[in-house]
Amino acid sequence: MSARTRNDVRVSGRDGARPMVFAHGYGCDQNMWRFVAPEFESDHQVVTFDHVGFGNSDLAAYDPARYGSLRGYAEDVVQVMRDLELTDAVFVGHSVSAMIGVLAHEQAPELFGAMVMVGPSARYIDDGDYVGGFSRAQIRDLLDNLDANHLGWSTAMAPVIMGNADRPELTAELTNSFCRTDPDVARQFARVSFLSDNRADLPGVSVPTLVLQCSEDVIAPEPAGRYVHENVPGSTFWQLAATGHCPHLSAPEETTAAIRAWL
Amino acid sequence: MTSTRQATDRRVDDASRSRLADLLVDDPTDLFENAPCGYLSTLPDGTIVKVNRTMCEWLGRPAEQVLRTRLRDLLSVGGQVFHDTHLEPLLRMQGAVREVALDVVRSDGALLPCLVNAVELRSADGAPLMVRATLFEATARRRYEREILAARRAAEASEAGSRTLQQFTTELAAAVTTADAAAVVLHRSRRAAHATGAALWLVEAGPHAGEDPGVVLAGAEGIPADLLDALAETAPGRVQVVLGGGVRTVPAGSALRAVWPALADAAAGAGCSDLVVVPVTADDTHLGALVLTLDDGSADGDLISLAEPGQHRSLNEVETDLLATLGRQAGQALERARLHEETARQAERSTFLLDAARLLARATGVTETVERLAEMVVPRLADMCLLDVVGEHGMARVVARHGDPARQRLVDELRAWAPPHRELPAPARAAMQEGRTQWFPALAEDWLADVVRDPAELTAVRALELASIISVPLVAEGRSLGVMTLSADRRRRPFTRADVELAEQLALQVSLMMAKAQRYELEASTSHTLQTALLPPPPPQVPGVSVAVRYLAATYGVEIGGDFYDVAPLPGDHVAIAVGDVVGHDITAAATMGQLRSVYRSLLVEAPAPSAVIDRLQASWPLLGLQRMATALFATLDLPTGLLHVASAGHPPPLMIIDGEAEYLPVVPSRMLGAPPAPALEWSGVLPRGGTLVLFTDGLVESRSQDIDAGLTRLREAARRSAGAGPDELCDRLLADLAGTHRADDIALLALTRDA
Repeated sequence: MSARTRNDVRVSGRDGARPMVFAHGYGCDQNMWRFVAPEFESDHQVVTFDHVGFGNSDLAAYDPARYGSLRGYAEDVVQVMRDLELTDAVFVGHSVSAMIGVLAHEQAPELFGAMVMVGPSARYIDDGDYVGGFSRAQIRDLLDNLDANHLGWSTAMAPVIMGNADRPELTAELTNSFCRTDPDVARQFARVSFLSDNRADLPGVSVPTLVLQCSEDVIAPEPAGRYVHENVPGSTFWQLAATGHCPHLSAPEETTAAIRAWL
Repeated sequence: MTSTRQATDRRVDDASRSRLADLLVDDPTDLFENAPCGYLSTLPDGTIVKVNRTMCEWLGRPAEQVLRTRLRDLLSVGGQVFHDTHLEPLLRMQGAVREVALDVVRSDGALLPCLVNAVELRSADGAPLMVRATLFEATARRRYEREILAARRAAEASEAGSRTLQQFTTELAAAVTTADAAAVVLHRSRRAAHATGAALWLVEAGPHAGEDPGVVLAGAEGIPADLLDALAETAPGRVQVVLGGGVRTVPAGSALRAVWPALADAAAGAGCSDLVVVPVTADDTHLGALVLTLDDGSADGDLISLAEPGQHRSLNEVETDLLATLGRQAGQALERARLHEETARQAERSTFLLDAARLLARATGVTETVERLAEMVVPRLADMCLLDVVGEHGMARVVARHGDPARQRLVDELRAWAPPHRELPAPARAAMQEGRTQWFPALAEDWLADVVRDPAELTAVRALELASIISVPLVAEGRSLGVMTLSADRRRRPFTRADVELAEQLALQVSLMMAKAQRYELEASTSHTLQTALLPPPPPQVPGVSVAVRYLAATYGVEIGGDFYDVAPLPGDHVAIAVGDVVGHDITAAATMGQLRSVYRSLLVEAPAPSAVIDRLQASWPLLGLQRMATALFATLDLPTGLLHVASAGHPPPLMIIDGEAEYLPVVPSRMLGAPPAPALEWSGVLPRGGTLVLFTDGLVESRSQDIDAGLTRLREAARRSAGAGPDELCDRLLADLAGTHRADDIALLALTRDA
């Protein structure tokens, strides 16, 4: 199976222009980029995709061993970029995908030209002086919460949300849902997302990097973003006014503008 | 009646309709505030701008405290993350969410499980304006869901357990040897318990009956060497305790430190927080114990563990049950593998002993045999084989062989500290002195240092990596013949009781072979001394004749016989000649021959005729008490005339060679000496000048492959071919032509030529 099918890779924008690869983070799928990615289609080749286990990716390709750490996801990113023969790509990674990007860059630096990290955190759990924002108990609580949601989630969600008869394309999309996924896959992705420690990988990033820090982000608080900035050589730190963890949804204009300004 | 009832009914209807109308004309504010669910309205950034009383009561906070905070602020940490990563994005993308499970934190800190429905209000251009959310208490439902989830998890765990067990039994079924089975046990149990390492100890019978059983490490994986050593140190002491209980978890904490400080240190050094001991049993027989090392979970592949550092991990009931079952399954498989191996070893031992017996049966000399035996022992039974043997001049090391040519040099060096230079090394010395086998399954380093006599010896012993020793005394017929020492180095399994038994059986065979060989050697040397003493010296010079004699011993079997020859000058220019052969090839035969010759010599004093010699010997045979019969040929020769008298007691006739012609003298043999007597007949004739008389024993003409007649014919033809040769040359030629290199019998040959 090709990486393109496996990861439901979608390519748009200007052929031959500098590619931008948008990687969704923990939570939903590539639809998260729906307000931001199109803004770059005029002057970039825009690539979006789903991590295996999410969105329209091929669930059959899910291998618990391969995806037992972020490296498996990073290998997928490298395969997607190689399949598309990208060079000098701008990799835009949200949340845990910022670290997946770091690992992918480690595996194949020649594919990357720049890196945009949206709400990154190299480690979510506090460790001595390091502030990740969470204690172990809190992460346990989070994983439990995820379990609580899967029962009602997996079967009931999509049909209830339907009803947009005037926008059938959205209905079709909704039927597949954005955040629905196999509970076991979601649980493992939550584990690898929140239990990884990529602090040691940061100094290896050798391309220009933009760290976009949201305001009042409980998931990736400012100290975590600053830590990434301080440890990625020559990176730029950009504080967004947008609150929460998903500025590309809550403040797409600001997010787009920040990326554009930096590029 | 009817109309009255109808009127009454109508009045009742009116009243209830009025009350219903009152209820339905409800205050919308009351409907909002006291609805059976919580209501929230927030700005797109989550700031709460409206909240109903129900919600406030659930939260235990007044509305003023709730307003201006954000929805996520009301949630548990897990809920906050879920809110930010799922709920908010979904609202943005889909405009609504339903039945999202979130926990709301009440003012007293208690969690209120809720289900949240929300819609996003958007402007005409799709920009978000506001979010409306309803929250339903879902305590019971959530409890139910958790129970379902727990049940599913338990089912999954149980299914995983069954799968592990199935895989385990399948792999165990394929394991033939104990090592195979141990590897499966270690690998599977380690994975089942998520253990960092596993080690398997099996009970083995000790060197002496009645002793507490020792434990032997059957295999380990994932345990650092020092922790393994520390475990091994404690294992013998703990084995009885452990075997009594079920699966136990021993925290590597202060309690352990109090009893086994070294183990506690090693465990801490290896990051091991707990030790799990699983009994390995087969049908109530304790075979050993499986030890698993657990860490505090601080390393989980690439991932950070959720366990707090320093926390102890305990096995749950499912894991414990699974391990207990694995222990029983492992026991069955190990028992089966042991039986299989034991059978194979028995067959191997039988083959070995049979080979050894064959080798020893063909033995021709002690030294050569023990050397070839050592080649067989090393490497089939041991890495090194030493044989120290009692000899005429004290003890000597006759064999020192190592299976590894690179280490042979070290073994040769050890000869310097062995007999005959020094006394025996300690195990061999003890075996000799106590007359029983010394078995050292393992050699303690300090013991070694204690028993060696020289630092250089210790160096050589260490370089040999001796791990296990057996010294067996060689005893036969109550005599101590020496000692055989076998050793295994670290690369070989330590010697077991079965190895000791095999070594003892081998030592018994070697002892018997050596005793037999020594007896033969003794007898042979005695007989030769005797025979040499009994045989006459080279015949004296007798004027008028030339005489040559030859005596050839048999080349195999016992090198001794009863043949003799004799040449004696008699007064009056006579010479008496005799050749004889006593039946048998042993000391008795040699002794009989000696007596016979002495008696014959004493008879010669009277210069009797040959037939008279036979008659007198026959007559005196019972008086002499001679135990064997004999054949003999007696002759006298008158030197001046050549007159020859010959008489035979069952002996082959003499050969006369005259002028190139050889003929047997027609001497009529009388009965053998020792047989019932009958008168002896005498042949008389003349040995002309230049003629030769040849006397011989049947060893020259008789062999297993040809009868005596054919032999006599060959002898006559050989004599004809050699006619004209002097007696010495004739003897040599006849022996060259007739005496093979392999003779079962002695040969006595006498040639006498009358001077021309």
